[in-house]
Amino acid sequence: MKVGLVRHRVMAAMLCAAVMAGAPAAPAEEPSPEQLRRELEAMKRQLQQLQEQIKKQETVINKLSAEHKAAAAAPQPAAPEKAGTTSTDEERLKKEVTENIMRRIQPSLTAANKTFPSQFNPAIGLIVDTVASYTDKQRGNFEMRSAEVGLSASVDPFARAYAILNGTQDSFEVEEAAIVTTSLPYNLALQGGRFFADFGRLSKFHDHDLPFVNRPVVLDEYVDGESQADGVQGSWLVPIGQYLTLTAGMYNKIGADNERVSNVVSRDLSEFTYLGRAATFFSLTDANSIDLGLSLAGTPQVAFEEAEPRYLGGLDLTYRWIPLGASGYHGFIWGTEVLVNSENRPVGGFPVDSDVAAEQRLAGELAAPIASPVANRTPYQPTTLEQEQQVAAPLVFQRKNAVGLYSYAEYRFTRQLSAGFLFDWAESINPGVGDTFAYSPYLTLWASEFQRFRLQYTRFEAPGDHENQFFLQWTVIIGSHVHSFRDR
Amino acid sequence: MKRMLLTLVTVAILLPCGWAAGADKIKVVATIPDLAEMTRRVGGDLVDVTSLSTGVENIHYVPMKPSFAVTLNHADVLVLLGLEAEHGFLPALLEAARNPRILRDAPGYIEASKYVVPIEVPTRIDRALGDLHPMGNPHINLDPVLAKDMARAIADGLAASYPEHEAEFQKNLTTYLATLDQDIARWEREAAPLKGKKFVSYHPDFNYFAERFGMEMAGTIEIRPGVDPTPSHVTELEEQMRKEKVDVVIREVSYPAALAETVAQATGAKLVELPTMVGGVPEAKDYASFIEYTIRTLLKATGSAPG
Repeated sequence: MKVGLVRHRVMAAMLCAAVMAGAPAAPAEEPSPEQLRRELEAMKRQLQQLQEQIKKQETVINKLSAEHKAAAAAPQPAAPEKAGTTSTDEERLKKEVTENIMRRIQPSLTAANKTFPSQFNPAIGLIVDTVASYTDKQRGNFEMRSAEVGLSASVDPFARAYAILNGTQDSFEVEEAAIVTTSLPYNLALQGGRFFADFGRLSKFHDHDLPFVNRPVVLDEYVDGESQADGVQGSWLVPIGQYLTLTAGMYNKIGADNERVSNVVSRDLSEFTYLGRAATFFSLTDANSIDLGLSLAGTPQVAFEEAEPRYLGGLDLTYRWIPLGASGYHGFIWGTEVLVNSENRPVGGFPVDSDVAAEQRLAGELAAPIASPVANRTPYQPTTLEQEQQVAAPLVFQRKNAVGLYSYAEYRFTRQLSAGFLFDWAESINPGVGDTFAYSPYLTLWASEFQRFRLQYTRFEAPGDHENQFFLQWTVIIGSHVHSFRDR
Repeated sequence: MKRMLLTLVTVAILLPCGWAAGADKIKVVATIPDLAEMTRRVGGDLVDVTSLSTGVENIHYVPMKPSFAVTLNHADVLVLLGLEAEHGFLPALLEAARNPRILRDAPGYIEASKYVVPIEVPTRIDRALGDLHPMGNPHINLDPVLAKDMARAIADGLAASYPEHEAEFQKNLTTYLATLDQDIARWEREAAPLKGKKFVSYHPDFNYFAERFGMEMAGTIEIRPGVDPTPSHVTELEEQMRKEKVDVVIREVSYPAALAETVAQATGAKLVELPTMVGGVPEAKDYASFIEYTIRTLLKATGSAPG
C-alpha cells in the first residue's frame, strides 16, 4: 500500500512536469487562438483532476501514518521485518512470560520454603501389629504385639542411619538403631550400632514382616528371636558377574531374646560372637530363581556355659516362581532354613529362677530371668521326679549338637490373597529334652499394600505341650514405607 | 578339591576380563526398555545399555532380583523414569548395588522425567487416595511427545557425566528428535479418530496417551491407584460406563484379565489388552511400534480403523 502511494505521487509529479515542460515545446505550426484556448482548458481540467487525486492520496497517507505511529507506540512486538528483530522480540516475550509465571508461583514457593527446616527430618513410618489368639491351654487373648516406629534418613554423603523403636504390651525397646555406610569403595558396606545380624533369612525379618504369624520354632529357640545384635558388621559384594555377598560381623551376642550374655556387661574378646555368611542367587529363568545362603556364628567362650564355645550354623534356601507379567498377582515361594546349634547346656535345660541363675544375675552375667527352652511359650516346669532332682541338684552341662528346620510354601492367588503352609521341627538345644513339631496352615488377605489380615492355625507338639492354636493377625502401615532388599 | 579351587580362581580371574572387552563403552542401566532404546539412540556407539525390566512387567512390581544389584553395581549411568515410578524396587536395589556413581543426586542418576511437566499431581497426599505418586502420574512413556523431553533429559544427563562426548550426544539427539517428530505427526493423523473416545483402564497408565490423542478417561477398575476394586466400586463403574457410553476397556498386560473382561461384557465396551512398555507384547518391539500398536489396537476397538 505504501509503495503504491509513492509510485502514484511520482507519476503525478512527472505528469505535471511533462505538462509544464510541454507548454514551451509547442508545435512549430501556429495554432488558431480558439484551438489554443480549448487545449488550455483541457490541460486545466487534467491539472485539476491530478491535484484532486494528489489531495486524496495525501489524505490516505496521513491517515495511514497516524495508524502506524499508534501501533508503534503500543506495547506489542513490532511486525516481523527482520530476522534479528524477531529473535530479540521472542527472547523478550519469553522473558516476560517467565517473569509473569514466576510472579504467580512465587507465593507457593515461599510457602513451601517455610517448611524447609523440617525437610531434614527423617522419613517416619509406623507399623501396628495386633494378634488375637486362642490356644487350648492359655485360652484367648488380644495382643497389641508391636507398635513399631521406623525412622530413616541420610546422615551425610557417606552414610545413612535408621532406627526401629518398638513398643509392645509390656515394654518399649530400641529394636534397631544403626548406621550404614553408603559410599565405601570396593563394594564394601559397614554397619554399626544395633541391628539384625546377617544370619540366615527370616531371622532378619521383624515379626510383622514374617510370612506367617509366629516366628518358626527353630529360629525362636536357636537364634532367640530376631538376629538382633549390638556390634559391627561389614559386607562385600564380590565384584564378579554372579551375585555373591560375603559378610563378617562381631557382636556382643546374636538374638533379641538371647540371655546368655548381657549387653550392658563388658567381656573378653573371646566372649563376643563372630559371624560369617555367604549368600548367592541363581536366576534359573526369568520367572524362577533360587537364593542360597550359608551362615556360621561362633562364640569362643560362653561364660554362662562353663566358658565353652557355642556354634550356630545355618543353611537357607529360597525358591521363587514369580511370572514377570503377573508379578504382584501370582507367585510361589518355598523357603527352608536348616540350623545346627552346638553348645554346652544343662541337662534338662536351665530351671526357671534357679539359685544358679539368681547368683549369675547378681554377678552381672545374666540380664533377666532365664527363658524357657522354647522362648515365649510355656515356661519349663519339671514334670518328673527325675527332672525335679535335676533342678535341685547342681546343673550338669553336656555339649549338644541340635538340629532344626522350618520349611514353608506359599502361593499367591491374587494381589489380595495368598495361602501357605509352615512346617517346624526342632530338636531342643538342651540335652534330655524332646523335639518340637508344629504344623501351620495360614491364609493372608491384603486389603491394600498397607493393610493385611492373616488367619493361622497351628498344631503345636512340644514336650509337655500339645495344643491347638488359632491366630488372627491384623497389621497396618502408615507413613513412610520402603521396600527393603533385606526383607525380599 | 584342588580342581574345584582352581576352577573358582580361574572363573574369578576371567569374569572381570570378559567385562573388560566392553570397558571402553559407557555402561548404562535403564529401568525399562523404552528408556534403554532412547539411551541407545542418544548414546549411539558410545553406550552399552541394559534394561532391568523386559517390558511385560508392571513397573510398580518389577521383581527385586539380586542379579539386578550386580548389573547396577557395574553401571556408569542409570536411566530411570523418575516421578517415583520405580519406588517398588529401585531404591532397595541401589542400596544393595553399592555403586555411588548412580545413587540419587549423583551425575550418573538420570531421571528421564526431568523436563516433563507431570499431570495429576495430587493436591493432597493421603493413603486414603491410594498408592499415590506425590510427584504426579509417572507413566510418561506413553506420550510420544514427552518422549522428546525424555530423550533430551538423557542427552543432557549423559553430557553432564561425559562432557567430552556432548557434541555427539546432541547430534544423535537431533537426529532422533527429527525421527520422533515425523512419527508423531503421522501418529497424530492416524489417531485423529480416537478423539473424544471414552475408555476405562485397570490402572491410570494411559492418561498421558489420552491427553495427547484426545481420548477421555472415564475411570479405572482399581478403586484407587494400586488398590484392587471392591464389588461396589465395580458396580458403580459399570453404571457410569453405561451412562457415559464408554467405548473401550483397556486391560494392561500386567493386570488380571478376568475382571476387565467382566466389566467389558457388562457394559458392552470393547476389551483391549495393551502393553505399557516396549516389549509388553511381541508387536511392540521398539518405541515406534509400541505406540503404533497402541494406536492401531484402539482404532480397531473403537471401529475407527481405516478399512
